[in-house]
Amino acid sequence: MMGADSGPGAPAVPWRKVLYERQPFPDNYVDCRFLEELRRNIRVRQYRYWAVVRETGLIAQQVSCVAVFLTLWSYMEQGDLEPSLVLWVCLGCALLGYGLYEILGGACVRERTRLADLQSATIFLAFTFGFSPVLKTLTESVSTDTVYAMSAVMLLAHLVSFPYAQPSPPGSLSLNAALFGSVCLASRLPGALHTFTMLSCALLVFALWPCLLHRMRDKAEWSFPWAAVLVCLAGVGGLGSLWPEGALLLSLALLTLTLLCPLLLVLLQRHKDNIHGPWDEAEIREDLSRFLN
Amino acid sequence: MGNRRRGHTHAPKTPPLSLDTHSSDHEQDVKHRICMVSDFFYPNMGGVESHIYQLSQCLIEKGHKVVIATHAYGDRRGIRYLTNGLKVYYLPLQVMYNQSTATTCFHSLPLLRCVFVRERITIVHAHSSFSAMAHDALFHAKTMGLNTVFTDHSLFGFADLSSVLTNKLLTVSLCDTNHIVCVSYTSKENTVLRATLDPEIVSVIPNAVDPTDFTPDPSRRDNSKITIVVISRLVYRKGIDLLSGIIPELCGKHPDLCFLIGGEGPKRIVLEEVREKYQLHDRVRLLGALDHKDVRDVLVQGHVFLNTSLTEAFCMAIVEGASCGLHVVSTRVGGIPEVLPDELVTLCEPSVQSLCDGLETVIARIRTGNVASPATIHRKVRTLYTWRNVAERTEKVYNRVCREPVLPLSDRLHRLRSHCGAVAGSIFSFVAVITFLFLLFLQWLRPDHLIDVAVDSSGPHSRLGQHVSKKTSKTPNPAVS
Repeated sequence: MMGADSGPGAPAVPWRKVLYERQPFPDNYVDCRFLEELRRNIRVRQYRYWAVVRETGLIAQQVSCVAVFLTLWSYMEQGDLEPSLVLWVCLGCALLGYGLYEILGGACVRERTRLADLQSATIFLAFTFGFSPVLKTLTESVSTDTVYAMSAVMLLAHLVSFPYAQPSPPGSLSLNAALFGSVCLASRLPGALHTFTMLSCALLVFALWPCLLHRMRDKAEWSFPWAAVLVCLAGVGGLGSLWPEGALLLSLALLTLTLLCPLLLVLLQRHKDNIHGPWDEAEIREDLSRFLN
Repeated sequence: MGNRRRGHTHAPKTPPLSLDTHSSDHEQDVKHRICMVSDFFYPNMGGVESHIYQLSQCLIEKGHKVVIATHAYGDRRGIRYLTNGLKVYYLPLQVMYNQSTATTCFHSLPLLRCVFVRERITIVHAHSSFSAMAHDALFHAKTMGLNTVFTDHSLFGFADLSSVLTNKLLTVSLCDTNHIVCVSYTSKENTVLRATLDPEIVSVIPNAVDPTDFTPDPSRRDNSKITIVVISRLVYRKGIDLLSGIIPELCGKHPDLCFLIGGEGPKRIVLEEVREKYQLHDRVRLLGALDHKDVRDVLVQGHVFLNTSLTEAFCMAIVEGASCGLHVVSTRVGGIPEVLPDELVTLCEPSVQSLCDGLETVIARIRTGNVASPATIHRKVRTLYTWRNVAERTEKVYNRVCREPVLPLSDRLHRLRSHCGAVAGSIFSFVAVITFLFLLFLQWLRPDHLIDVAVDSSGPHSRLGQHVSKKTSKTPNPAVS
């Protein structure tokens, strides 16, 4: 019966935002305090152009990694590269990277012993070596076009699902997609040793390199942009030696990615209009895991 | 957008069509034929379901004719009658997700038209923004030239993609709805922003609780210990993660404290883990899903009612708890601060620390005996929210709505385009035209006058139960005798 007996004049009591009291106002009354708790853009982060450009380096170098890998594959498929040579280079890179990883890790506590690392490496290499003849003939009954299409899709999936936002070692989806793509490609190479080499390379590029890069970003921040630029140059250069037009396209894509997209993001920032109020779902800010673990 | 900004500078003014100023004697005699539409109805149980049922019962008591349309639940399809001749149409529509039907804007038109014509409906009242059938009904009712009312029962954010999309759909759906009912002032602000509405056409009518169902019974309490009762679905939005932090924190400090938790859901596992880890099997009882009739029996065993929701439009649970004489501790989110006066509820921030502090003050007060008795609390709550009051206020909304003209198709298209943006507006204008043509086709296939008029089981011409019609014929005009 709200306000059934109120006159046309303004009621004497002020309106309150409560439901438990019968107030002399109609149900559709709109007070001047309506929406007074509305807040706009309270948690917006203001991006600065060069900071964003720096962050996009991660995406650009990941795209280039795929380009480097494809270049390697292409050379091996044409027989221009000896697998043994590639294997030695891979071994050198792996040792160098491992050393760098250890030096950068320096202060932090190791969760695994060196022996455990060596064990996993041995197991992986032994199994891949043992199974490489099987992998070599795995897709023989599938047409080459299908294999190429499949690996293209898988490498794209790797790029899309790579965890750029929370810097971490590659997520399981992106790593699996990349390795599946590599197996597809490796099975089209001339020999079993080629297949083994290709898979070792894939592991180096898609699994171990992101770990090293992550640690570089953590411990020696200055080195990250240089590493990213180096990988991008390697990707463009490698592709250029095979297919110059492709290299041009790749470098255009990388430039768009690193320079144009951040510009758009920064320019579109000021159109942001995010509204918050008491209707928002509350966030649990405490760390509740301590009660369970 | 425009409306959002307007909302800020809105000056208080007397609306030209205020809900109460125009009510005259002759208007109180007007009896409406109302169709409630929602995907959510009995045998499903929840806030929306009981709201529809209780509101319909009170409207029938006031002499209106009410029918309910919902989708078929398993074997339950066709027409069923509930208490006092409340007729329910269980329409055979396909359920998609979470008991909500799919919406195509077309496929439900033949069935809903049939219901509206058979029952000679004058007002279509749709419930819940999660119900696709409710939105369909609003759209079809407008196509058929009926007045519409919509009740929103939930809050929505604005930040993520899914809410952006649902809010756009709500804008389209509510763009020519005559009146909207929200359950709290916070919910009104939320709905006005989401659907860019004029706040004048949004009324706030809270939910209600049947106080006779929730009476205190202190003899059922075990006064050698202090019992905290939690009754809610065990899902993230109800803040069960907070509860999993509160339980070990408080049980460690107070050896005579125990928890009674009713409800089921995916977060049950979290509570079980906590109970396992801290060895609290004798002090934390998980009762599983409760029937509505058992809720009161659980509530009366407790001293304190705890609600940890992260978002809530109204929160009937705390009213039920207080009605059973419990001290309520709740998070300060959504519309909850509006629901109970300060002496009946302790409001806390949604964090483990704040909720523990709030609970400890209440526990300390109980230990010293410095608390109101359950009977006193019940007496205060009993009159706050009643379904009769809800029905009276809803009736005013109906009286206002039935005076409003229904926009012809051309105006409706114009309104869609000017109100919902160029892209969505054009798309839904197109859909509106197609629906209109579909309706013409249906009317040609089976003209309105060939559809049988249903026998009324409620309202002024009810053929059911003498006592009902006697009651209804008496109430409207006591002044005459």
